[in-house]
Amino acid sequence: MTLDLLLNGRPTALEAEPAETLLEVLRREAGLLSVRLTCGIGVCGACTVLLDGEPVSGCLLRAAQAAGREVTTLEGIPAEHPVRRAFAAEHAFQCGYCTPGMVLTSARLLEEIPDPSDEQIAEGLGGNLCRCGCYLKIRAAVRRAA
Amino acid sequence: MSGEVRYAQDVRLEGQWHAALVRSPVPHGRVRAIDVSKLPPDCVALLPEDVAGLGRYGCQLKDQEVLADPARFAGDVVAALAASTPEAAREAARLVEVEFEELPAVFDPVTAVAEGAPLLHPEAGAVREGAGSAPAGAIVPADDAVSIGVRPLAGTNVCHRFRLLHGDADAGLADADVVVDETYRTASAQHAPMEPHATAARWTADGRLELFTGTQTPFNLRADLAGLLGVDEEHIRVVAPPMGGSFGAKTFTRLEAVVACLARKAGRPVKAVLDRAEEWVTLNRHPAVIRVRIGAARDGTLVAKRLDCWVDTGAYADCGPGVATKLGYAGAGPYRIPNVRVDALAIYTNLPPNGAFRGYGAMQSVWASERAMDLLAARLGMSPLELRRRNLLRDGDRFATGEVMHDVHFEECLQAAADAVDYERDPHGKGLSVLLKGMQTPSRAAIAVERTPVGYVVRCASCEMGQGVRDSVRLQAAALLGCEPGQIEVPDPDTNSAPFDTRTTSSRSTYMMGRALEEAVRDLQTNGGGRGYGEIANEGGLDPDTGQGIASTHWHQGAAAAEVSVDEETGLVTVEHLHAAVYAGRVVDRAGAELQNEGSMIMGLGTALLESVDHADGQITNANLSDYNVPAAGDLPRRLTHDLIERDDAEPHGLGETALPPVPAAIGNALASLGLELTELPMTAERVLEAVDAAAPAEVGVRG
Repeated sequence: MTLDLLLNGRPTALEAEPAETLLEVLRREAGLLSVRLTCGIGVCGACTVLLDGEPVSGCLLRAAQAAGREVTTLEGIPAEHPVRRAFAAEHAFQCGYCTPGMVLTSARLLEEIPDPSDEQIAEGLGGNLCRCGCYLKIRAAVRRAA
Repeated sequence: MSGEVRYAQDVRLEGQWHAALVRSPVPHGRVRAIDVSKLPPDCVALLPEDVAGLGRYGCQLKDQEVLADPARFAGDVVAALAASTPEAAREAARLVEVEFEELPAVFDPVTAVAEGAPLLHPEAGAVREGAGSAPAGAIVPADDAVSIGVRPLAGTNVCHRFRLLHGDADAGLADADVVVDETYRTASAQHAPMEPHATAARWTADGRLELFTGTQTPFNLRADLAGLLGVDEEHIRVVAPPMGGSFGAKTFTRLEAVVACLARKAGRPVKAVLDRAEEWVTLNRHPAVIRVRIGAARDGTLVAKRLDCWVDTGAYADCGPGVATKLGYAGAGPYRIPNVRVDALAIYTNLPPNGAFRGYGAMQSVWASERAMDLLAARLGMSPLELRRRNLLRDGDRFATGEVMHDVHFEECLQAAADAVDYERDPHGKGLSVLLKGMQTPSRAAIAVERTPVGYVVRCASCEMGQGVRDSVRLQAAALLGCEPGQIEVPDPDTNSAPFDTRTTSSRSTYMMGRALEEAVRDLQTNGGGRGYGEIANEGGLDPDTGQGIASTHWHQGAAAAEVSVDEETGLVTVEHLHAAVYAGRVVDRAGAELQNEGSMIMGLGTALLESVDHADGQITNANLSDYNVPAAGDLPRRLTHDLIERDDAEPHGLGETALPPVPAAIGNALASLGLELTELPMTAERVLEAVDAAAPAEVGVRG
């Protein structure tokens, strides 16, 4: 099947199998390697993409469910975006693997809550795991971007 | 940050197929038959007959076959499939039918050394090093990656016995005024790197093997595969892209052997990326049972210590001998004790292999030893802080290994930790812990520097896994060469172009590569400025039968303090404040150093309260990130703080793991200060409730 969607701001057509996840299609067909598989069950956030602006797990979402919708990956967030700049300034990453999901989720969190408390940040990022344990600097980055 | 890092899982080789592994469902079983008649034509199966002529591999004992027979744990790889897509390979793997003849199995290291226990490797221990040529089928020690003499005990499941003998521990315990005798346990843990294990292999037309793999040990891997495959080391190229986390998981030979064999059979490149659940049957942390006997004079002077350690290495030795050794001497602790006896056994069981894990054995014995110190303090009627202070090693003291200590900062670390939680004013609900941990000794490191039109290329085999080694090398090189860090290019480690390095483990790279880099820059400056090469070695090692020698070139030193509260209805522990104080020497990369401390503490918190690889009848029961909890942002202590204790004129000290091992014991000791005595990790709500029930109500000063 052909999947038509608005991908990182551009109308895009991708080849997909009906049962495939959005994660598989974005990586293989669009070469968007910032979308990464870790847990495969929607609890770690490494595969986060924004679907019509809302963070979702690309490992759970069927590609077909993204038809006609707007999908944003980290590649669609400009380097000068305040959240990306804040993550860099606070050194809020180690291996960098979870970073795309963290940045996308943080960006959405700050749209909803422009000046979040520590508890709100912890809750907002509760679905994004960082095994390197960069949470303090990630929290500092979200605060900096607020 | 930009999402542009390319990990091993992102590698795409021209014409590559994908691998799927056929795993044993039984924890111990001889392979009777493999039926591949249902396989579709467009796939390639790697079967026992394809690897029959190969040797065995293993970083410290060569006890592992490419395809296992017998399978020695549920999850052991008995066949492998390659097909054009990952889905097709997985589907093909499901169509392979394997018939097993089940064998008796053992899942506990103490049971595994009892009389009559089923043997996993009956041929282990048949030969000792230096005892002449090995009989056919004997398991031989690896000579490339192991830096200790391996001491398997013939006819048992013990693949290594490490002993440390210093003075007369039994006589000392008999003479002591107060003796504590307690047994502690730690659970297995899963590294759970965000990026799973990923390996791509390709054979060239002239019989050379190229591997693109997430690994911390490219040269050890190359040597192990050369021995296994009968290929010259120079004909194997290992390229190590940055890893999406490792923490010890991606050390030595993991998927590389089977993927290389599969690629050779398929006649095309093959890539394997593990499913998440497969991580739990690939490598975990060694669980341990540790009996501590420690005695002191009435005034608190330590007189003797005995440690008996059962270290579960799972179905294959991997680096279990090394872990048992480090666990053993770290368990002596950073104290002056005239009589010490350590007996640490690395033991085979029918569980997935356990291997290197951030902290490398130190966490297990620090948990036991530092919990026992607080018990001893209570029996002496002394402050745990004062008991430690009275006995800590200082510059010029001899450690139990016989080596003289230098650049010692244990007391400073401990005091900083105590002060952070205001321990001396009120120790209630608070706990302390201090640790000593060695760095890989002996080892070698080398580095090459080359001038380019825009700066320098620095080639070395230090592998990036998020610990920031590339930044560390770049910053040190820029300082030595007088240029900007941005002018230093540090390519991915490649055994074809980077000089030999022992491996990226034990927090050694900033120190060792830094010293090699100084040599290389000196060489460059005296040879016209175009090229430079530097190589250094740190010498030492321990006698495995006495534990005497040089355990470590320098010491990783740290302490932790925890303040906790407990909900006695639910058993839930809230860590109000967690602090670590770590000796850093000279800091090379401040942000990187802070991240290592914070990350180590958070991983230590997971070990303390959350993480356990659970199994029933040899089957892992929580092999997913929903049932196996790693710390999330909401699991952090209310306050998490740390100190880097610095000396501008000192050598840099690795910081990758020092702040992990003391964390569980600090939290355990904080619970003990409330009357809750826990001896087993993790300290789950259930175990805390058991401790609440066990404590006499009058003794429990529970705060909610």
